[in-house]
Amino acid sequence: MTTSITPTKAGLPPAPPVEAARRGFTEIIAPYAYIAPFFVLFAVFGLIPLLFTFYVALFDWNPIGEHVFVGMDNFSRLVGDVRFWNAARNTVSIWLLSTVPQLLIALVLAHMLNHVRLRLAVFFRMTMLVPYITSVAATAIVFAQMFDRDYGLLNWLLSLVGFEHIDFIQSVTGSHVLIAVMVTWRWFGYTALLYLASLQAVPRAIYEAAAVDGAGGVRQFLHISLPALRPVIVFTIVTSTIGGLQIFTEPLLINRGAASTCGPIRQCQTLTLFLFEQGFTQFKFGYAAAIGVALFVMVVALAGLNYFLSTRIRPVKG
Amino acid sequence: MKLRNVSAVVFAATAALSMAACSGSSSGTSSGGSDGKSFEFWSFTGIDAKGSAAEYKAKRPDIQIKLTEVGNAQETAQALTTALAGGKVPDLVLIQGDDLPKFVQQPQNFVDLRTMGADKIKGDYLDWVISQPTAKDGSIIGIPTDVGGMAIAYRADLFKKAGLPTDREEVSKLWPTWDAFIETGKKYTAATGKAFVDNAGGSIYSQVVNQGQEKYYDPAGNLVYERSPQVKSAFDLALKAVAAGITAKQSTFTEGWSAAMKKGDFAVIAAPVWMLGSIRDNAPDTTGNWDIATIPGGSGNWGGSFLAIPKGAKNPKAAWDYIAATQSPQGQLDHFSKARSLPATPSVYKDPKLTSAKDEFFSGAPIGTIYTDSLLGLKPFLIGPDSTTIGIEFTNAITNVEQGKGDPAKAWDAAVTNIKNAIGG
Repeated sequence: MTTSITPTKAGLPPAPPVEAARRGFTEIIAPYAYIAPFFVLFAVFGLIPLLFTFYVALFDWNPIGEHVFVGMDNFSRLVGDVRFWNAARNTVSIWLLSTVPQLLIALVLAHMLNHVRLRLAVFFRMTMLVPYITSVAATAIVFAQMFDRDYGLLNWLLSLVGFEHIDFIQSVTGSHVLIAVMVTWRWFGYTALLYLASLQAVPRAIYEAAAVDGAGGVRQFLHISLPALRPVIVFTIVTSTIGGLQIFTEPLLINRGAASTCGPIRQCQTLTLFLFEQGFTQFKFGYAAAIGVALFVMVVALAGLNYFLSTRIRPVKG
Repeated sequence: MKLRNVSAVVFAATAALSMAACSGSSSGTSSGGSDGKSFEFWSFTGIDAKGSAAEYKAKRPDIQIKLTEVGNAQETAQALTTALAGGKVPDLVLIQGDDLPKFVQQPQNFVDLRTMGADKIKGDYLDWVISQPTAKDGSIIGIPTDVGGMAIAYRADLFKKAGLPTDREEVSKLWPTWDAFIETGKKYTAATGKAFVDNAGGSIYSQVVNQGQEKYYDPAGNLVYERSPQVKSAFDLALKAVAAGITAKQSTFTEGWSAAMKKGDFAVIAAPVWMLGSIRDNAPDTTGNWDIATIPGGSGNWGGSFLAIPKGAKNPKAAWDYIAATQSPQGQLDHFSKARSLPATPSVYKDPKLTSAKDEFFSGAPIGTIYTDSLLGLKPFLIGPDSTTIGIEFTNAITNVEQGKGDPAKAWDAAVTNIKNAIGG
């Protein structure tokens, strides 16, 4: 390699040694300087708070009072805290209930929107983003009203066909379903557009050839669309896992009678909401930081597992 | 050469950026000065803080008030916590009673207002109110701005349909005690088939538990919630109301609660004075249908706020002048006339401006006298660091039974278990 570079410098007069050393130094350092803004901002707003959280988790930390070092006490307490396991269970349940339908709906929608004969395609593609650009708070309030026990639209419809009113918000399953519906509603369009973008990169000729060979819509979906989408599916599974484990606003807003616990028996309190309750309503920053660390470990583990599993889904040979 | 300059600039910029980010909280030179002619005031929304500031400005045109309505009361307290932890604080801040204990536990964060002259005026306020911002070491960190006297707001039109009396004197006589209140509820529900009261946790438990001399702590600061007779009787009364089927099972401030209020699906609600505005805004069509009666047991308080000066304030004097001018008995009386916030200063309770105040939405009820009467029977009790948590767990246990998910026989034990788990005791 050196030989190929040397000739270009051969014609130049030899630079004074000091100057050469200095220029060499600048040239080595310059690229780092160009990327520094991102890394400095990331360090200030990402890495340092993250490391600081690990540090705070070792203390009994009152933000406006004393900070007492307690070692691993917060973690050992967390392991024995039924509220933590309840929140963990709720989080996983809501995550599964929201992510699986969301990705499936998005897949099917993307396939349909990619259809060559679809009229008003741009209109449909754009409207799917409306839930995504709607404020989460507004979504939560409207859905909480729709799912209300006594006055909700949904229960009114149920009563028209002779069913008993369902208390969605106060029951464990009901509140999980309600939150999952909100999350799905918000994200399916965004995910579908990601899939669609990927699908549009697939040459039309392949679909046409498949059609000529007698493959119907379902076969085309399974054997062309799905394999083409594999990388973006992995991406959306990882991101929705991370997002799903951090669901916060929806459970905070659907039960205004007991907001920070999402109900009297913490029926839909997620881990982030539990963290918020401990940190910002009870001011137990150390304990809240320990919850944050536990959540961090869970997210990393689950995202890794997801990545591992989904990269091993090989396209079906057909 | 050019390259080197560029990289130098980038370096300088990033270094400056990171330093600014690190030192932003401690330097805090961005706003205000310590000239004594201006101060920064954090208040919360919905209480017309702008109006109060404008009134003061009319009297003291030389003073600049930098008012920020941070958010609701809880959000303001959260912002204050962050500010205190970070070091950049306002000169004056409004704290709601519910959020006050955690600040009183850490009085070193606030100016001891005795040094500003609070000793001289503390006798102006109800003793059980001024005891709340008084810390263990005797320092006073806040001055009361108002109190939340209690009454029962009831729908006179619905009472009439149920064959109950409608006159506020007679209605008050229906429920000298909470047991009588529940009995009245049974009659109402039997006659109409509808719920009587909005919920058991807010309208019954939270009221009864505040009517005793001891709540969750004894005067020495020991936790006594498990054996406090007041707590147990409040809990049992709430469960009794649930068992009687007279509650609408609508937790206060939820969507269903607002809807039920509009539709007249419950007839009474335990209403602190600030709740009247909520009812008016929520159910404007029910004007003239409501009236106000005394609360069972005769006394009660829910809410009230306090003005405090953080230790790091740059203009403590200007902030204190504002407190002294606006929170005097006369100042609080003026504010009552304008904004219906109940004075914490008993010396004005006989003032005609207060006794003659009537509210037309509530059939002309004399709100000044009804509400101030409810404040005179109260005793100070110790509010400790975990009072809020304990109260929430008891209320949650009641709500859980009310919503049909919990077993009433096990509710007390469940609440106690949850409390122990939550406070680690």
